[in-house]
Amino acid sequence: MNSIEAVEEKSWQEFREQCRRQMNRPLAQRIKYGFCRMHKPVLDDAEWRIFETMAEYREWCAAKLPEYLGFKPAR
Amino acid sequence: MVRGEVAGISWIQTRAMNRPQFQPEQAKAIAGAFAEEKVDYVFIGKSAAVLMGFPAITQDVDVFPKKSPENGARIVAALRRIGFDIGREMEDAIIRGKDFVQIKNGPFDVDLIFAPDGIESFDAAKARSLNVEGFQVANLRDIIASKRASGREKDMIDLPLLERFREEYEKQNPSPLKSAADIAAKRKKVK
Repeated sequence: MNSIEAVEEKSWQEFREQCRRQMNRPLAQRIKYGFCRMHKPVLDDAEWRIFETMAEYREWCAAKLPEYLGFKPAR
Repeated sequence: MVRGEVAGISWIQTRAMNRPQFQPEQAKAIAGAFAEEKVDYVFIGKSAAVLMGFPAITQDVDVFPKKSPENGARIVAALRRIGFDIGREMEDAIIRGKDFVQIKNGPFDVDLIFAPDGIESFDAAKARSLNVEGFQVANLRDIIASKRASGREKDMIDLPLLERFREEYEKQNPSPLKSAADIAAKRKKVK
């Protein structure tokens, strides 16, 4: 294992420990700290949206949402 | 079909920015209202994983409901009960089970996803779902399958994290239930 792989492995180990700690916290805390409202441009600028099909929804995301929100298909 | 998109800072942007965070009481309220109205559903997506202990942050509640006019009417009644303003057009869409209904004019944001990617049927997902302290949540394997099938950049980033979380979750909560993708892969191996 080279040094980059070792660092990566260590960070995954830390993430696994974080998962275990979070699972052991009370549900109310998981909710309190797991939901955070951040205004997302375009996405949050309507009261509601209805899409007939998921394909229609995906097309809308690709056409309308800023790229940095990450809703576009991964290349 | 979209309502509320206007140029500049709209009232909904202002409201969204000023709206308080989703609270544990609201999570209980939606689960309670769905239970009282006998809505057939499971929580799905990152919000479901967060309920299970996935150490991440999300902002809306994703619900995968059974698609039927009766269940749709129950959803409408449940959401109205907890303060959502469901107009006639949205009511019609929910009752008809349009694939994706995004609601942002209630006390918190809810996505109703009647046809999530990567999951073959509601009944199969429900059979594999888990009850987490009163919250009916999709199996993590289905949540992962759905995110993988969606192919979106943001979901691809979450996948390796969700996979590791699933491994840790299953160590603490062993379950014989597997996702449809696992069952199909097993069948393929046998052949």
